Amino acid sequence: MSQFTEKTQPRRRVALSLAATAATALVLITAGCSSSGSTSAGEFGFPEAKQDTSATITVWVDSDRQAVVDAFEAAHPEIKVDAVSYDGSANGSNSFRTKMQLFDRSGSGWPDVVFSTQNNDAAWASQKTNGKQAFAAQLDGGLIEKDTLSNFTEGSLDPCTVDGKVYCLRNDLAQSVMWYDKTLLDQFGYAVPTTWEEYEDLGKKVAAEHPGYIIGTAGDAWTPEVFFWGSKCQANDVTGPREVTVNTTSDECTRAATMLDTLRENGTVPNVSVFTPEFLQQYTGKVLMLQGPAWYAGAIFNNPNSLNVPAGELGVGAPLPWKGEDPVTGNVGGGTWFISSHSANLKAAKAFAEFATTADDYQVEKAPGYPAYAPAAEKWIAKQESSGYFATPLTALTEAGSQIWSGWGAGVFSQEAIWAKTITPAIASGESIEELLPKWQEAIKNQAQVDGYTVK
Amino acid sequence: MTASNLSTRAPRIGVSGWSGRALISAVLLVFVLFFIIPIVWLLLATSKTGRELVTLNPFLPGTFDGIVQNWNQLFAYQDGAVGTWIANSTIYTVGALVLTLIASIPAGYALALTQFRLRKAILVLTLIVMLMPSTALVLPIFLELNTVGLIGNPLSVILPMSFFPFGVYLTYIYFSTSIPQDLLAAARLDGCGEFQVFYRVALPLATPIIALVAFFSFVQNWNNFFLPFVMLPSSDGYPIQVGLTSLLASTPAFNPSSAGAESVQLPTLALATVVSVLPVLIVFLFSQRFLVSGMTAGGTKE
Amino acid sequence: MTAAIATAPEPVDATARRRAPAPRTRFGGARPGMSYVFLAPYLALTLAFGVLPALYALVLAFTDGGGGFVGVDNFVKVISDFRFGPAVVHVAIYLVIWLISLVILVTVLAIVVHAIKVRWLNTTLRFVFYLPGALAGASSVLLWLFVLDPTSSPVSGLLQLLGFDSFVQVIVPANLPPIFAIIAFWTGAGGWIVIMYGALNNISSEVMEAARIDGASTFQIATQIQIPLLRKWISYMGVMSLAAGTQLFVEPQLLSQASNAIVPNDYSLNQLAYQYAFQQNDFNGSAAISLLLLVVALALSTVFVTRGGLFDTE
Repeated sequence: MSQFTEKTQPRRRVALSLAATAATALVLITAGCSSSGSTSAGEFGFPEAKQDTSATITVWVDSDRQAVVDAFEAAHPEIKVDAVSYDGSANGSNSFRTKMQLFDRSGSGWPDVVFSTQNNDAAWASQKTNGKQAFAAQLDGGLIEKDTLSNFTEGSLDPCTVDGKVYCLRNDLAQSVMWYDKTLLDQFGYAVPTTWEEYEDLGKKVAAEHPGYIIGTAGDAWTPEVFFWGSKCQANDVTGPREVTVNTTSDECTRAATMLDTLRENGTVPNVSVFTPEFLQQYTGKVLMLQGPAWYAGAIFNNPNSLNVPAGELGVGAPLPWKGEDPVTGNVGGGTWFISSHSANLKAAKAFAEFATTADDYQVEKAPGYPAYAPAAEKWIAKQESSGYFATPLTALTEAGSQIWSGWGAGVFSQEAIWAKTITPAIASGESIEELLPKWQEAIKNQAQVDGYTVK
Repeated sequence: MTASNLSTRAPRIGVSGWSGRALISAVLLVFVLFFIIPIVWLLLATSKTGRELVTLNPFLPGTFDGIVQNWNQLFAYQDGAVGTWIANSTIYTVGALVLTLIASIPAGYALALTQFRLRKAILVLTLIVMLMPSTALVLPIFLELNTVGLIGNPLSVILPMSFFPFGVYLTYIYFSTSIPQDLLAAARLDGCGEFQVFYRVALPLATPIIALVAFFSFVQNWNNFFLPFVMLPSSDGYPIQVGLTSLLASTPAFNPSSAGAESVQLPTLALATVVSVLPVLIVFLFSQRFLVSGMTAGGTKE
Repeated sequence: MTAAIATAPEPVDATARRRAPAPRTRFGGARPGMSYVFLAPYLALTLAFGVLPALYALVLAFTDGGGGFVGVDNFVKVISDFRFGPAVVHVAIYLVIWLISLVILVTVLAIVVHAIKVRWLNTTLRFVFYLPGALAGASSVLLWLFVLDPTSSPVSGLLQLLGFDSFVQVIVPANLPPIFAIIAFWTGAGGWIVIMYGALNNISSEVMEAARIDGASTFQIATQIQIPLLRKWISYMGVMSLAAGTQLFVEPQLLSQASNAIVPNDYSLNQLAYQYAFQQNDFNGSAAISLLLLVVALALSTVFVTRGGLFDTE
C-alpha cells in the first residue's frame, strides 16, 4: 500500500481543488444570474418585465380559493389561467416566501398572482432583498384604479401598506366581535355587556351562578390580537419597513392582562384553544359568549364538527370599548392577493386580482369570509342575514370592520407564534399574564431584531 | 462451560426458564402496545365524523358510513388530486429506486470487497455527506438543477433521490461481513473477470441486502417532503407528502382561516394518512420474504 | 489476469490450507481499475448531490449575501442569536435520551424477536414494530395532536396518571425532549430492528448451535456471540442516530404544527437553520449553523466509527 501513498496525495489534492473551483464557480455563476432587468421604474412605479397581453397567467391559490379560479374562468374565458394549488402559506409553513426566495435566486419562475392566507407578507414582499427586485408589484402607483382601492373598507389595506405604498389587495377582513348565545343569555337573564368592565363583571357573575360556562377563550394563538389589540396595547406598532415600537407594560396592556387573569382564574375564560378536542369535550353547549373574529361563525358555531349551535341562537355584539373610550377592535387573519412585479401580463394579472377581491360572483356568492371590499361586504352581510341562522342583525360586523385599531401593524414576524411559544405554556404552568408582560416584550423584541427590525 | 453441562432447559424456544419467558413476553407486550395503539386509533379514526372523533371513546369504531363519507370527501378534494399525488409518488419513488440500486449495490460491493486507492477516502466522504444537514444542501441542489433546466421535471426529484449513501453503507457493511474473500478469490482463480465475479458470485448472495436497500430507498423517497416541495412548482406534479400538507392547510384545526365549504375534516385527514401509508406497508410485506434466515448455500466449505 | 498463486503440483489437504495464513494478496489480485467502474454511477451522484452542494454551503458560510468574504462573521451572528443557546441545550438533552434508548432498545428487541422461532409471530412482530415508521411528517401531525391530548387520547389514562389534564400541560418545554424522543423512537426503531434482524440472520446458525450445545444460555449467546458480531451494524446505527439526533427537525416541526406554534418552530438547531434560510432569507447564517452541526456530528461519530470498527475490512 505504501508505495501508492505518494501518488495518491497529489491526485487527491487535485481532485479536491477541482471540486473547490467548481463550487466557487457555481456560486459566482448563480450570483451573476440575478435578474438585473431594468432598474428604472416603469409606468406603475416598479421595473416591469416585457409585457405580452396574451400570455397565460399563473395563479397560486389555496384549496379554498379554487372557487375564485372557477368563477374567473367563467366570467373571463378570454384570459388563460394556469391555477397552481398550494398550502396558502398557512400554519407557519411560510411556503410563499420560501418559494419566492428560491425563484429570486434562480432568476425565473415567479407566478403572476399569489393568494396568501397570512396578512404579513407585504412586509417582506415589498422589499428588495440582496439586491433582487421586490416580488410584490406596487398597486397604488397606477396599476389599480384609485376608486377601486378607496372602496376597500377603511383600514383593511393597512397590512398591505408599507411606507405609504399599497402592495396587495385584501381578500377578507377578520374583525374581532363579540359572539354570544342569545338563547342562553336570555335564559340566564344576563344583559349583553357594552364595555370590557361589564364583560369582566359578567364573568364573575357567571362563575358564581353558572360555573362551567365560559365567556371567552385565552388559549388560542390569536388571543393577543383579540384582547390586546382591542385594548390598544402597543405590542406591535410597526412604524416603518424595518422599525417597530414595542411596549407591553403600559396601562392599556396591563388592563387587558389583569382582566384576562381574573377571568382565567374563575374559569370563565379558560386557557384552551377553540380548535382542540378538549374545547369541544368540555364546553359544547356551555359557550355563553366568545370574543373572536368574523370567521368564528362558520368555523366554530355553524359547524357540525365544532360547537354546532342551532339556528336562531347566535348573536353578534359590537366590539367592546374600555369605559369612556371609543371602541376599537382587533383582527385575526384575512388573506391577501399579490401581483408579481415580474409578471409578463400585468393586464390579466390585474383583472384576476381585482375580480378575486371585488367581484360579486365570488365575494358575495361564494366567499366564506367577510369581504374587505366594502360594496361586496354589504351584499355579503345581506346574504348572511337572509340565511336565517343568526339571532340578531349583523350590523356589529360592519361597524367593527372599520373599527380595527391602526396601532397594531403587520411585520414579518408572527405575533401569534411569539405569544404561543412564550405565554401559553407559561400560563399553563401557573404564571399570570400580568407578570408575563415584560417577558412578552422581551420575546417580541428578540424576534423582531433577528428579523431585521430596529426596536424602540 | 464444559461438555458435561449439557442441559436441556427449553432448547427449542431458546429462553431459559419460565420466568425468563414471562419477562421476555411482558417486555414484548409492552412494546407491541407502544407501537400499535396509535395506529389502531388512526385506523378507527377514519370511520368517524369530526365530532365523533372527539366525543367517542378512542377505541370504539365509528360507522361504516363514516368511512364512505370520508373517502368521498378525500377523493373529491381538488377533483381527485389524491389519486394524482399517489401516481406521482409512485413514478418518483420507483424511478429513484431503479437508479439507486444501479448505483448503490455495485458501489457497496466495490468498497467492501475490492482494493483500490481511494477506498477509505470515499467511505469517509460518504459519511461526511450523510451527516450534512439537508437544509444546507437544498439551495445548491436547486440552483444546480435550475442551471440545467430541470426544475419542474420529474428528473429534478428522481436524480437527487437516487443519491442514497445510507444504502451504500448498508451494502458495504453487508458485503464486508457476510461474503468471505476466499469465495471471490476462488472465482477469480477459476478465471472470472471482475464483472463476472460480481455478477455471478456476489450478486446472487446479496438478495437480502438488495431487498433491504430497495425497501429503505422506497420508504425514504415516498416520505420525502422537502425535496419535491422545492423542486416542483406545479401542483400537478406533487407527490403525496406535499399534497398532504396542502390537505392539512385546508383543515380548520390546523389553519383556522380555512373554514369554508371546502374545508377538510380531521377524519378525512386520518384517511388520507392511511391511504398514503398503504403502499409502504405493502412493499414492506413483500420485501420481508427476501430476508430469509441464514446464509444461502455456496460458501467455501472449510 | 490473476496474481501468481503458485499451483501446487500435488493436492494439498484441507486442514493444511486452513492452517496456512491467509495469502497477502487478500483481494485475490483484483484489478483496481474495475472498482472505479463499479463506483462510477454512485460517484457521479455523490459529486452532483453531495460534494458540490456541501462545498457550496461551505462557501456560503464564510460569505455574505452579496458574495463577499466575511470570515467568521456568520458564525458569530448565529451563535449570539437568542435562540441558539436554548436550541443547543434542547438538542443535547434530546440526543442523550434518544441515542441511549435507541441503541439499547433496538438491539434488545432485535435479538428477542430473532430468538422467536415461531415464523408467523416473528413476521408479525417485525411488521408491528415497523408500522409506525411508514408514517412520516405531515401524516402524523394529526396523530400526535390527539395522542398527546389527555381528553381524547387513546392513552389518556397514562397521561392523566402522569398528572396532565390538558394538551398544553403535556407540551410544556420541560417535557419536550422526552416527547420528541418517544415520537422519534416510535417512528425510527422499526427500521433499525429490521436491519438488525437481517444482520442477525447472517450469523451462521452453526455458530449458534455450537454455543448452545456448549451450554450457553440465551443471555450469554446474546452478549458474547451476537452482539460482538453485530459490532459494525450497531456502530452504523449509532452514527446514523447521532446524525438524526443532532439534526432534529421533523418531530418539533410536526408538534409545532399540531399545537399551532405553542411548540416553537425554532426549537432545534436544524429548525433554526431552516428559519434563517427561509424566514430571514439569510442563507449564509443557515449554512453556518449547518456547518456547526456537521462538525459536532462528525466529532461525536468518530467515537462510534473507531470503537465499532466501521471502516475495517475482514
